Amino acid sequence: MIGSRSPLLFVFLAIPILYLLALVAFPVAYNVAMSLQEVTLGNIATFARPWVGFDNYREVLSDPDFRKVLLNSLLFVAANVVAQLGIGLAVALYFSQRFPGVHFLRGLLLAAWMLPALVVGALWKWLFATQYGVINFVIGSPVHWLADPSLSLASVTIANVWFGMPFSMILISAALTGIPLEPYEAAALDGAGPFQRFRYITLPALRPALLAVACLITIYTMRAFDLIFAMTGGGPLDSSNVLPLFSYQFTFQQFRFGIGAAIGTFAFIIVFAVALLYVHTLRREAVE
Amino acid sequence: MILARRRAPLLTLIAVAGVALYLFPIYWMFVSGLKNSAEIFANPPTLFPRAPSLAAFEHVFAREDVLRYLRNSLAIAVPVTLLTVALGACGGYALSRLRSRLVDAALFAVLMLQVFPDALLATPMFIIFKFLGLLNTLAAVILATTSKTLAFALVILRPMFRQVPIELEEASLVDGCNRFQTFWRIVLPIMHIPLIVVGALSFVQAYGQFVYALTLLSRQELQPATVGIYSFVGAEYADWNRVMAFSSVFVVPILVLFLVLQRRIVAGLTAGALK
Repeated sequence: MIGSRSPLLFVFLAIPILYLLALVAFPVAYNVAMSLQEVTLGNIATFARPWVGFDNYREVLSDPDFRKVLLNSLLFVAANVVAQLGIGLAVALYFSQRFPGVHFLRGLLLAAWMLPALVVGALWKWLFATQYGVINFVIGSPVHWLADPSLSLASVTIANVWFGMPFSMILISAALTGIPLEPYEAAALDGAGPFQRFRYITLPALRPALLAVACLITIYTMRAFDLIFAMTGGGPLDSSNVLPLFSYQFTFQQFRFGIGAAIGTFAFIIVFAVALLYVHTLRREAVE
Repeated sequence: MILARRRAPLLTLIAVAGVALYLFPIYWMFVSGLKNSAEIFANPPTLFPRAPSLAAFEHVFAREDVLRYLRNSLAIAVPVTLLTVALGACGGYALSRLRSRLVDAALFAVLMLQVFPDALLATPMFIIFKFLGLLNTLAAVILATTSKTLAFALVILRPMFRQVPIELEEASLVDGCNRFQTFWRIVLPIMHIPLIVVGALSFVQAYGQFVYALTLLSRQELQPATVGIYSFVGAEYADWNRVMAFSSVFVVPILVLFLVLQRRIVAGLTAGALK
């Protein structure tokens, strides 16, 4: 190929990569460094701070609130993965049928995903309002969706599934259209019913895509901050708190920077592991 | 086939009902903004406002400076969009054309760097922009937000650039154009639709930016609409018709952009995330 080694291409590549290294990789590394230091309001501006080894981690791990929030995060992510994949797959299957307006209607669902997460949080806080909220009116009982510690995590999960499902569904839809038709025709000739065709053709063919989408849902829901911040602020009593919000509270409300950074590291490890799995899945799919 | 054709209108009907139900919260946002202070607390709530009123909208425009908040949101979102499209086009093009271990590493880095939650990078961002003397400027929020949109843009644009036939570029190089002219005059015009899609998605992300605005800007007159809306709903009690009026005004540009580009956005998302 002519000029494929053109220096211009390397410059084109270097600029965005350096940008990302400076404003993503460096902050991540800096955060990990801070988690090993004693950082106070007095020394936040300099990097010459006392190193304290794993003291911050020890403190975080011995905090029962942290264990609660970590569990919340895992539950929140797991519920989102299961619900978004399940509902997303069902909706995608429905829209894989042929009828007038199918593409437009399917695309329209994405309107929910286009909204700013903070607005989605504000909107669902209003829908879930105990006294005048439309959800309590429909079910006919004054449930304290956001104020009851045993319900608040479920409530923010419902809102986040509503927010994220259309995106997951669109990705699953794309994978569905990529499945070749011949196996279905053969199976129909062999007398396989719709359920059997789904179980033995559709599902196996979709598995890599579903795994990739599950990774993306995990990455996106581990990020959830605005929505929960607007709906409950993590409360009551940390019952709907998740790692990024918990870290933010230590850092920006209590000014305990080292603790906030250590909490962040736990979230980093989770998203990093899932991202590796995601990239691995994409690679394997690309090879096949 | 005949059966399928007869069922089709029914399928459409069910889909319309389902989509309407799913998007009911968005309807409820607009309609709540149109209710007056008494009707918003009516029991049972009214599906259509009995006495539609623009009072809540007037209030947020006159008293809450919605226009200032919107101007700040746009002053963040527009530069982020331009910066993302410019850097994303260069990077996406290079990633699609170069073949080496270095490029594999770069692509891997981009995929990994897009996953970190921005709330967790807020402290280092704060320190970086304090060091650069950019705290309390929109530039800080713009640069921080672009770090998020740029990785996303590279992931979406790389497979798109790969679809541009290399023969076109070779012909242009043979004709005496240099590499940059080829990129500028041949490749970019072909890529204008994917670039618009990436621009639109970056705009939407930046327009809804919250965490970095909250942490990097302390002066109220610089804050975007997300922070403005939060200052309404953070308290236990909220004037919901006003919050919803504010939110409605805020999301209209996004929804218009979405409706105009719907099909392209759907195509762009599926190309990027799974390839």
